Amino acid sequence: MSTLVIKDLHVKVGEKEILKGIDLTMNTGEVHAIMGPNGNGKSTLLSSIMGHPKYEVTQGSITLDGEDVLAMSVDERARKGIFLGMQYPAEIPGVTNSDFLKSVMNTRREKPLSLFQFIKTLDKNIQALEMDENLAHRYLNEGFSGGEKKRNEILQMKLLEPKFALLDEIDSGLDVDALRVVSEAINSMRNDSFGVVMVSHYERMFELVPPTHVHVLVGGQIVMNGGYELVEKIDQEGYDWVKELGVEAFKAEKKKPILLESCARKVTEHE
Amino acid sequence: MSKYQIDCQYYIVFQNGEIVESSIDDGIVINDQKIIFSNSNPIQIHMIYLLDENQSMTVEYIVNERVQVDLIETRQLRDNAQFNRIIELKEDSVFNMFNENCSDNDENIDFNDHYTLSSNARCICGYAELSDGSLSSSVHYDLIGEGADVKMRMAALSKNQEKKAFEVTIQHLSPHTFGQMDNYGVTQDQGVLTIDGIGTITKGQYGSETHQNNKIIVFDEKCVAQANPYLYIDEYDVKASHAAAVGKVDEEHLFYLQSRGLNKKQAMRLITYGYLKPVSEIIDNELVQKRFEETLSKVGDERA
Repeated sequence: MSTLVIKDLHVKVGEKEILKGIDLTMNTGEVHAIMGPNGNGKSTLLSSIMGHPKYEVTQGSITLDGEDVLAMSVDERARKGIFLGMQYPAEIPGVTNSDFLKSVMNTRREKPLSLFQFIKTLDKNIQALEMDENLAHRYLNEGFSGGEKKRNEILQMKLLEPKFALLDEIDSGLDVDALRVVSEAINSMRNDSFGVVMVSHYERMFELVPPTHVHVLVGGQIVMNGGYELVEKIDQEGYDWVKELGVEAFKAEKKKPILLESCARKVTEHE
Repeated sequence: MSKYQIDCQYYIVFQNGEIVESSIDDGIVINDQKIIFSNSNPIQIHMIYLLDENQSMTVEYIVNERVQVDLIETRQLRDNAQFNRIIELKEDSVFNMFNENCSDNDENIDFNDHYTLSSNARCICGYAELSDGSLSSSVHYDLIGEGADVKMRMAALSKNQEKKAFEVTIQHLSPHTFGQMDNYGVTQDQGVLTIDGIGTITKGQYGSETHQNNKIIVFDEKCVAQANPYLYIDEYDVKASHAAAVGKVDEEHLFYLQSRGLNKKQAMRLITYGYLKPVSEIIDNELVQKRFEETLSKVGDERA
């Protein structure tokens, strides 16, 4: 069994503090759901565990089986068994999916995979995920539909067999069939040496992959821990009840479109 | 036998201007440093050029009417060497070339190609400029016959304080001519790389098209990279486009690849590999592709 421990984690982006003291302990064999309103730090938490350079950890610690994760580079974290299934995976032109996947599978092997072994493993997983066989020959994520990108993330998770998979809204952009395929893939990996941390807004995802632990993240803090009953409560009531706990949620910033009139408008003295 | 030799039935090895080894078809005539191709069937031939310090050499290729040649070319030049090629592609000829620069030099070397394409001659060229050492290079195409068509692609790597400068010119001198250049570069470890792309369509060359794409990835701050596109057009009925970009590897791309366990060097190499690889796909030869990939593995290496 492996354990991922997060203690008093503070993270800022630029000058803004997004996470304000997160404490979480996750063991393999468990499925943790992290829920919360948009813009309150869920993705930041997952990206910070993976080591995204945009996020600066200002305080606290993350350890994996006692080892300091924050001292590791992004790739070391991956090789130690942390996997981030991204909400918006990067599109990388020129790099074919198969070249990429082969390199990825070789990162944790002393002897490189033979072409035959690689193709066999890839084909098996592509079939299981009901993916388009041509995806292997296309450029990495380029021109993939939302659903294809998410399946490609799950494909990598299956090939890498991490200890902890951090799945950031892996259900967004998936139709009903794709959701079934993806959740089956996650469930097929569930065992004592595999743990999942899932961020999702939808009860449907958690019905298909039932969490063992549920955490509500609001205003950069975990405001409540519980079990599946929390998923149901949020599905029915939203997050208004959080105010009763005395926590102020961050408001997701609305992006305003720039209109020609906003720069061309004549400013008068009355304004 | 040269270490660069590949499994190719026909080959010529030049050392300082002299032929030291060769195996050629009846359709190939060598007259001093002029090589005339009149083969009735398409052939693949490997040319190796070895030039020592301060040596210079000019070679001329003539590809006769309706002849097809697939050329793999390896050149190794030492300090201050100069190598010039004059390539004449006659009517309806087809010339596919992959050219690899395997030089290892401390002082600058000079490399110049001048092509002339007659009516309906077709030319596809790939230049793998991944050598160790500084270089000045000029590649010039004169499209003198109607319907002449050239597509060239270059992959250039400048590293370890090397200075590499390339000038690629496509000059449209007849109507309905087509030119496309794609110049891709990578600079690392204080490398200097300049790519000038020049497309010229003179008056009266209606129905012509000239396109160019110049892109350079900069690995670290101390590199110098310039991608300069120039289009000189004096005719209305033409199509032309250019693009030039110099930039760092996208941080999100790096993060994505690293989050899958690839270290920074492996990630950079994969990105560069994808970026430069199409050059080697012009010629279908496994050994050449393998050598190109081996050379590409220099990318991201710590300074020697």
